[in-house]
Amino acid sequence: MEDTNKKDAVAGRRDFLKGSAVSVAAVGVAAVAGKSASAGEVEVVSGSGYRETEHVKAFYASARF
Amino acid sequence: MTNADVAPIEIAEEDALRADMYDFIASLLRTEPSDELIAQVALLQGDKTPIGSACLTLAHLAKTIDNGLIRNEYVSLFIGVGRGEILPFASYYLTGFLNDKPLANLRSDMSAIGIRRAEGVKEPEDHIASLFDMMSGLIRGRFGRRFSIAEQATFFRKHIEPWADLLMRDIEAAKTVVFFAPVGTIGRAFLEIESQAFSMDGTG
Repeated sequence: MEDTNKKDAVAGRRDFLKGSAVSVAAVGVAAVAGKSASAGEVEVVSGSGYRETEHVKAFYASARF
Repeated sequence: MTNADVAPIEIAEEDALRADMYDFIASLLRTEPSDELIAQVALLQGDKTPIGSACLTLAHLAKTIDNGLIRNEYVSLFIGVGRGEILPFASYYLTGFLNDKPLANLRSDMSAIGIRRAEGVKEPEDHIASLFDMMSGLIRGRFGRRFSIAEQATFFRKHIEPWADLLMRDIEAAKTVVFFAPVGTIGRAFLEIESQAFSMDGTG
């Protein structure tokens, strides 16, 4: 029963998004994003979990955290 | 990005569009727009929906305003002399101070996700463009694994929803704004769609 409700909710969400302005309104937004100066402001920490590099340590020290 | 070894994850069409919207808005709010970016914005198409018509306005402005003036507008809005008219950081909007508790909370959540600020980025991580990058990364599975809609909703509700709508309104109504006004409109309309969609997921 709960599973059915959840499936309905997911389908409702998908239909809502597909019918929303996001899917139809703006042709070309992906191309704009592709021309951005930076590929992103965050990067994945290599390996699993957080690794405090010298760079990050220096930053935290300067930010007084 | 340093995760070229991570295989791309297939995501649903509507989720790819959401990620595109986050990337699009982030690209316009991250830094002064380059000539290349402005040229691409000039090609945007639209329709009569709030996002579509704001895209048409934005494309028109990209075609008609001098690129240097657009960059000057970015600087006076977000950087300024001393400070810009708008400080697009979660901590500032939520507490009135930069680098306060909301930033510490975000760093803790970023660490749990396994991401950190990219080397060379000077702004604190709670900048709106940075948070939108993170949403896009969660949706696209760029951070090593697929994050469920519920996990995306948790991040959105904690770090974006409480303040980003107000930020977008401030951008729309700023004293020196012309080019960025429709960016605020698009952002506000998109955030509303995201809020509604997350509330339909049945996860709370």
